[in-house]
Amino acid sequence: MDIGTIMNTMRDPAGVPAVPQLFQVLAVGTWVFHIAFVHLTLGAAGLAIYAFYKREAGPYWEQMSIAMTKVAKVGVSLLIVLGVAPLLFTQVIYDPQWYTSNVLSAGWAIGFIFTLIAGYCLWFAFYWGNHEGAKRYIGVYAVLSLALFILDGLIMHALAYQAILPDRWMEWYAPGGVVDTSGSKLHAIEWPRYLFIMSLSAPAVGLYLIAYADYFATRSDKTPEYRAFARLLGRTIAVPGLAVSALLASWWQLDHPAATGLSEQPLGWLLPGFLLVLAGLTAAGYQRLHGYAFLGIGLGVLALLAFWREVVRITYLTPFGYIASDYKVHADWPSLVLFFSTLAGVGGLVGGYYLALLYRAGRVQGTYTAEPPIARLGTAAVAVLVVWIGVFFVYGVAIWIRNALLA
Amino acid sequence: MDMLGMYPTFYVPYIGTAWVMGIIGVIHVVASHTSVGAAFLFALLETKAYRDNQPQLMTFIKRYGVFLLVFSYIIGSITGPGIWYAITVASPRGVGGLIHNFVWVWAAEWVYFTVEVIGVYALVYLIGKIDPLSHLKLTWSFALASWATMLLIVGILSFMMWPGSESWYMTGSTNDAFYNLNFFAHLGVRTGSMLVMAAVVGFMVAAGMKDRELKHGVIRMLAPVGLVGGLFSVMMFFYYLQTLPENARVMLKAHLLPSYAAGMMAVVAVASLYLIAAWARPQIVRLWIAVPVFTFIAVVGVWPEERMRESMRKPYVAGQYIYGNQVIARDVPGKEIVAEVETIAEKGLLKLHPFVPDRLRTVTDENRYEVGELLAKIACSNCHSLDPGAPLRSIPDKFRRSTDEDLIAAFLRGPLKHGAIPYMPRIDLPEPEIGAIAHYIATVNAAAQAGTESDTPVADIAPASGPSKE
Repeated sequence: MDIGTIMNTMRDPAGVPAVPQLFQVLAVGTWVFHIAFVHLTLGAAGLAIYAFYKREAGPYWEQMSIAMTKVAKVGVSLLIVLGVAPLLFTQVIYDPQWYTSNVLSAGWAIGFIFTLIAGYCLWFAFYWGNHEGAKRYIGVYAVLSLALFILDGLIMHALAYQAILPDRWMEWYAPGGVVDTSGSKLHAIEWPRYLFIMSLSAPAVGLYLIAYADYFATRSDKTPEYRAFARLLGRTIAVPGLAVSALLASWWQLDHPAATGLSEQPLGWLLPGFLLVLAGLTAAGYQRLHGYAFLGIGLGVLALLAFWREVVRITYLTPFGYIASDYKVHADWPSLVLFFSTLAGVGGLVGGYYLALLYRAGRVQGTYTAEPPIARLGTAAVAVLVVWIGVFFVYGVAIWIRNALLA
Repeated sequence: MDMLGMYPTFYVPYIGTAWVMGIIGVIHVVASHTSVGAAFLFALLETKAYRDNQPQLMTFIKRYGVFLLVFSYIIGSITGPGIWYAITVASPRGVGGLIHNFVWVWAAEWVYFTVEVIGVYALVYLIGKIDPLSHLKLTWSFALASWATMLLIVGILSFMMWPGSESWYMTGSTNDAFYNLNFFAHLGVRTGSMLVMAAVVGFMVAAGMKDRELKHGVIRMLAPVGLVGGLFSVMMFFYYLQTLPENARVMLKAHLLPSYAAGMMAVVAVASLYLIAAWARPQIVRLWIAVPVFTFIAVVGVWPEERMRESMRKPYVAGQYIYGNQVIARDVPGKEIVAEVETIAEKGLLKLHPFVPDRLRTVTDENRYEVGELLAKIACSNCHSLDPGAPLRSIPDKFRRSTDEDLIAAFLRGPLKHGAIPYMPRIDLPEPEIGAIAHYIATVNAAAQAGTESDTPVADIAPASGPSKE
């Protein structure tokens, strides 16, 4: 059987509830935020460990280690929750690829969950122990935790990569014609791609440190000397980190099969190019430019990576006759309105309220009292939820009565 | 139809993928329900703290919140996607069906989930760092957002049982799927039980508090909330039973209630007594009692509840249109979905399944055992273990370890072919495929019997592949 026909037959017979391109855009867009927190978390975790073992070398390493431990702790929570959306939108239009890849390595897909739990618990153990004068042995928790996170990254990479190699699925599932239902193997790893994406963790935490130094400019307990230390450390990590990432991006670019033509595409070479430009900008302007600007530019680079990743997927799958935009559409407007109104109303007002509180309170030493606009935002956050839940029930009861009692 | 959109199969020996899913699911339900329930307890306690100027109550909230960060927001937030991964590898077409019906609902839940994760950090770490009124708004919005995640997921879970009317099949509308017949009853059960779990976990947290007055005050506030929640949950459970489809009722009466009813009543009794006793005498709340009570609720209450829900919707995994074995069971005109059972009856799984190796597409004497094993994994292993003595509805055990191929084949040609058993899918296969499955099961049983008699492990006796019929 032809694998292209198989993939098109494996599409869900219900079709998709909106134009496929919408899911494509959402999958790419939401992945940017997910991978940003993956990079920040891995980078912060690595720096927390390095600083932990360097505590005796200077006055700020211990403070830095404790701060980065907290960043990684919150970062894991956010990378998990932000990973849900791209996973969801991807499997709407690439369900045959994603599900098959998962089933073929099912043991690893399940193992991912338990290793992530173990890794996060270990990081919490490190977090609780990492205070002034902490015992040296707790660093082992952090090292093990980071090792598990890196393994989880490898599992996710393999699942994503296997998904775009459909012509090899059958040889993985039934090598020599003998079916293997154990799901016990990771079948394909593209090391240049994996190492490149993981390597971005170093520049991510470097750029974050420059922004961190600016964020705490209003806090007297974060001394100018500590902030200068953070800023310089950020530059020291970011500049060589960006250069190494640019090299690895180039390796990935050269690693694509010749038949895909991806190695010759200028868009792919923009990635290493932008990374080098950002390295130069950071080296030259890390004291002049505001730290937030570096984060903004970094997000732009990740957006390019997300877009390029989708181009790679399309390029790999098109020769098999799998075109995401061909997916059968059964539009469902009410649920589409549900999502976008929730995103705007709840995401905007409630999420906005929380972020505003966290941002403002973090910059104040002592108790922060909400200014009138923030206080009103808080009232609006509660109100929008009451309205949302009210509409949910009124609308739902009407449909329920129609179907259960009147039909 | 010359091909079905079937996926490769993942088989977990002995416990099957269903138990993998169940274990992750139960951990998630316990962690997430506790979290949502606790959010409401926080809101109630903080309202009292604000109105009556009792800032000491915030000490308890902070303590409980830190516990939740680990218990619910590590374990709960990872096992949430974990269930997704588990059902992906166990029932790829099932999860695909749900995703393609409910993607926007899930996406809306994701918005709430994101808000909730940011919210729990804000709630815990901003206690004492921001003005009390702003924090109170934060806590109430957190509680409502947490509950909204439950509102959204329960619609999807209850659709997995059934839509409850013909509307969705005809319209294909997410509205008709989501607000299905047992949605509100199901929501009521979970909403009530989350308060019970949160109250008992609250006791675990309160047990370690030094301030006796504060500790007793908190317990006296939590206990009645848990009791009211528990009572509501029980009432809604009886209503829930009235909203089930016929296949679920048969399964419930024939298999599930005899196994689980006593345990569930024990959970209601133990939880009620514990909450009443703690309300009357808060000093009895100790960690070494609260932890076992909570574990008892999780193991004897939540695990059977999740197992029952999974079993009752059999033979389907979603909306009474996708069988557990991934075959489309009926037409859904609203989505242009066409049933596959008749096509399989005509052409057979070996011809239609895209992931059958060519050497196994035709049954021969040489490959009969191997084909039978593959077909059993494809058609049966989503609900049944293929290993003798296994806890997940072992097929060899269901046939009483029979080695009589004709007897086994008679079942396949009779009740299974005609869909006569309400909680099993209709599996109508061509004669060679029936023969291969019967041969496989009989051989496994023979090997098991030989192993029992000689104390030799079954694995050493059962052929790995390709034994001849002779």
